[in-house]
Amino acid sequence: MEYQHDVEINGEDKYQNICKHNGLCKKEKDSKDDTDSNKLSHIEKAYTTILSELGEDVDREGLRRTPLRAAKAMQFFTKGYKETTQDILNDAIFDEDHDEMVIVKDIDLFSLCEHHLVPFFGKVTIWAYLPNKKVVGLSKLARRLQVQERLTKQIASAISEALEPAGVAVVIEAAHMCMVMRGVQKINASTVTSVMLGTFQDNPITRKEFLDLTIRK
Amino acid sequence: MNGHCNVKVNDTVEEFHSNNSFSDLLIDSKKSVVHRKHETSRKKDEDQSRLPALEAAYTSILRELGEDTDRQGLLRTPHRAAKAMQFLTKGYHETIEDILNNAIFDEDHDEMVIVKNIDVFSLCEHHLVPFFGKVHIGYIPNKKVVGLSKLARIVEIFSRRLQVQERLTKQIAVGISELCSQKGVAVVIEASHMCMVMRGVQKMNSRTVTSTMLGIYLEDPKTREEFLTLSRSA
Repeated sequence: MEYQHDVEINGEDKYQNICKHNGLCKKEKDSKDDTDSNKLSHIEKAYTTILSELGEDVDREGLRRTPLRAAKAMQFFTKGYKETTQDILNDAIFDEDHDEMVIVKDIDLFSLCEHHLVPFFGKVTIWAYLPNKKVVGLSKLARRLQVQERLTKQIASAISEALEPAGVAVVIEAAHMCMVMRGVQKINASTVTSVMLGTFQDNPITRKEFLDLTIRK
Repeated sequence: MNGHCNVKVNDTVEEFHSNNSFSDLLIDSKKSVVHRKHETSRKKDEDQSRLPALEAAYTSILRELGEDTDRQGLLRTPHRAAKAMQFLTKGYHETIEDILNNAIFDEDHDEMVIVKNIDVFSLCEHHLVPFFGKVHIGYIPNKKVVGLSKLARIVEIFSRRLQVQERLTKQIAVGISELCSQKGVAVVIEASHMCMVMRGVQKMNSRTVTSTMLGIYLEDPKTREEFLTLSRSA
């Protein structure tokens, strides 16, 4: 949402197709009238229905507060909607003489697959020219209903738009519980997605170097 | 652990302890107390009729989280999520009798049998978030052996439910002990809980280990140690 807004202002269409984001901003505004506790109690009721439709006994001790806990957990897993790249990359200091590449590997990442509402998780590796410590906060963008391809693009474009580095490369390798716990049930399958921008896109040597060092055997 | 275990399961375990020999205890499967009443009340052919209510609940959740339920990626998500949830809790309409298929064989073998590294996936009943890991099962036969895959199927029956790891471990052990008389049953589960990893304390590498030892595994430390050593080796 932030990215599309910035793109319109800057008139750049470079990243136009990167974020085919949900109409989330509109919904956020509409539902501001509801208090948070209202939303929580609606989600709680929905979970109570789910439990009883699954054949469980909602009055037994272990399940009595489960609708509330599950609702709060779900709100936590999707709190990334309220976080913007500006919040996360706030106070980034731009040092124009600092042009060394920074690699941050194996950042733990957890998200929810928007198709089945089941977790997927893995590691993100980011190469970019930017202050080291800011990179780690980007995994918070994963706290949304996501598709791994879109998440990768959003992380790359967030870095690009906020800091305009010479290049950004992002790779995510993750296991999808929707494939592991159900469906095809392939336990060792992992999904790898990547986005290359700037010099990583234009220069094949830089790209090869990045891929050789990042992709696991 | 006491708070989590079904009181009926505890009674059964106490019966084991009070008997001198494991093989004295023959449980009529009809009197099985491993399943609690509601756990087999769900019928498989009811799943289809329950879907609309589940879908409506998921649609409501998505809206209340602030999402746009009309966007392309979410259009069929309530349906998929409902079916996924039914699959992940399908253990409720399965019983041991269903899967056993007469896979108990007379065999003159009275040494330990271990099936280890069985992948297990379950849902934490407190947060409805997955936990998963490995189960290691050991038993010492008494003139009868069980088809090996049946041990894994018993894990499936009990894990595809809303669970607490302690109870899951016990239910698997008691379920196996009901198949045929054995000298002992041991079950160890090592799992990672997403409710601790993805939220809350957010400890990535934490693992929870639970175990249930029945019969000779409980009485004899050397047998127990042998099982633990063999099941942990690479």
